[in-house]
Amino acid sequence: MKSDKIIEEILGEIEKHEGALSRRDAMKLLAASPIAAGVLAGTATTTEAYASSDAKGKIVIVGGGLAGIATAAKLTNKLSNPDITIIEPNPHSVSYQPGQTLVAAGVWQKSDITYDTANFIPKGAKWIKEMVVSFDPANNKVKTQSGIEVAYDYLVVATGLVLDFASIKGLEGEIMSSASENEVVRKKVGKNGVYSIYFADGAVDTYKGIQELIAKAKAHTGSEKLQALFTDPATAIKCGGAPKKIMYIIHDLLTKAGVRDKVELTFCPSGDKMFGVPEYNDAIFEQFKKRGFKWEFKTNLVAIDTDKKVATFEYKWLEKGEYDEDLKEYTMIPMSKNIEKKYDFIHITPPQKAPDLIGKSPIGSSKGWVPVVKETLQHVTYKNVFAIGDVAALPMAKTGGSARKEYAVLVDNLIAVMEKKEKLPAAYDGYTVCPLITSLGTVMLAEFNWTAKPTPSFPLDPTQERWIWWLLKVYALKPMTIYGMLSGRA
Amino acid sequence: MKQLTLICMTVASLALLSGCGDKPKSEAAKYKYSAAEVYKETCLHCHGNKGEGNPEKKAPAINKQSIQELEMSLFDIKNGGLGQSTASEHEVMEHNMKKLAEKGYDYDIKVMASYIFNTFNISK
Repeated sequence: MKSDKIIEEILGEIEKHEGALSRRDAMKLLAASPIAAGVLAGTATTTEAYASSDAKGKIVIVGGGLAGIATAAKLTNKLSNPDITIIEPNPHSVSYQPGQTLVAAGVWQKSDITYDTANFIPKGAKWIKEMVVSFDPANNKVKTQSGIEVAYDYLVVATGLVLDFASIKGLEGEIMSSASENEVVRKKVGKNGVYSIYFADGAVDTYKGIQELIAKAKAHTGSEKLQALFTDPATAIKCGGAPKKIMYIIHDLLTKAGVRDKVELTFCPSGDKMFGVPEYNDAIFEQFKKRGFKWEFKTNLVAIDTDKKVATFEYKWLEKGEYDEDLKEYTMIPMSKNIEKKYDFIHITPPQKAPDLIGKSPIGSSKGWVPVVKETLQHVTYKNVFAIGDVAALPMAKTGGSARKEYAVLVDNLIAVMEKKEKLPAAYDGYTVCPLITSLGTVMLAEFNWTAKPTPSFPLDPTQERWIWWLLKVYALKPMTIYGMLSGRA
Repeated sequence: MKQLTLICMTVASLALLSGCGDKPKSEAAKYKYSAAEVYKETCLHCHGNKGEGNPEKKAPAINKQSIQELEMSLFDIKNGGLGQSTASEHEVMEHNMKKLAEKGYDYDIKVMASYIFNTFNISK
């Protein structure tokens, strides 16, 4: 039973960590708790839910990450005759990316977040272990790297996005998926003070980098502090909280090592705010002030000299121009200049984009991302095509938490299309969640949607850092994702 | 015992996050002017009678964009970026929009996108 598996995993997580409950106590508690009973009952019901649609048609899902596999699983549960093909080249595509911050923090190992895709392909689904190289939506087919043409009746695009390190002058390479090939990028990133937690090996390197920074700080004697910079690019990014989470983690580790006063931590984002939701924005400002962080808004990393350890940022601002009679306001003139900063440690959040082959294909858009109606996830032009996850052109929604809400919406709407219904029944509201790690032991659970207002699931002030959310992040979210979401049940 | 409570709460969180009870709560905001009124009284000055744009004012044409592109752009402008903390791709318009909103010329993104598309789009 899947529900047992989730509970089993939570117990396993608890066991791994010192100071937590004994397994026996936890079991007793779980057995006695009406809430736990509720979870078990809740998941058990869905486990037993049988196929509710007899709709037919060949469904091809391009991309087997969290979004693609969860979609495949839910379709498998709901259709009496599922015909599903998943095209995904990476054998570890389902690895748990939200854990990368915890790997950098030394709380988890890479093995804690690596999962084999083979174990999560739903029963009956076909898996083509290849990359798609072209889309032909007019003729309902895609082509893979080795030249196989795969025809479909319905297509789900779930390729994820590309980490575009090469667009920063001085760095090289792109990374397609957190757990895929990264040799070119690692020539410059993951050593010598330059780190990035945006891919799994990068997170492992970052942990080492933090230890080096601590050692360097311990040996540091000059009056000038060591400089640690944290970037946040001018593109949409997955997990908007991560550029700050790593900063909090490093602050905490430096403090524990007794060398926080030797290092200046500066956040250098391209934007001019901490968070798109005012309540969380204010809370983060307070957290930054309390920790003595510095920040410089509208600074976007454009180049880096990894030998000289100098980072170049494009700084932007608006200057007041002439009075505009039509606008009844002063016009604003965009200005920019490059500024150089020396660093001892820099965490790079790479610019991110849709895979080029998507952007250039008929299913993409001028900005790359697959254009969908943001509520229904249906392609704006091709009604038998849907997109989900990081590759979809959706505001504020490149997180696992978003994908977890999106796949249920997508499946209901896709089945409606398969059943030739005119109205699509389900709507995504932009819900996403950012468990913002604010120290090793506290998390602010920032939940929100397109109204840009907090949408807490709990009757607790959502702007507070709490240990309970740390427990949620470290013990519960991974089993829930891996054994709940990937089987289409939670 | 404290730990028991915490584990208990973690499990509770699991129950809640697993999807019960988080229905979309959208609030229908009230706007002073209709999308057409906002367009005619403000946007038109730079984006033109037909949405053709005005290079002199650095106002792009908006009569060729799809409804989805319009919606994303308007979201970016009003929200100040498409991500949680990314900069807006329309920094000048973001500034102008704030000023317009202060004067009451605010609008629902979806309503404005469909107004612009249905009134001006030339590829339809």
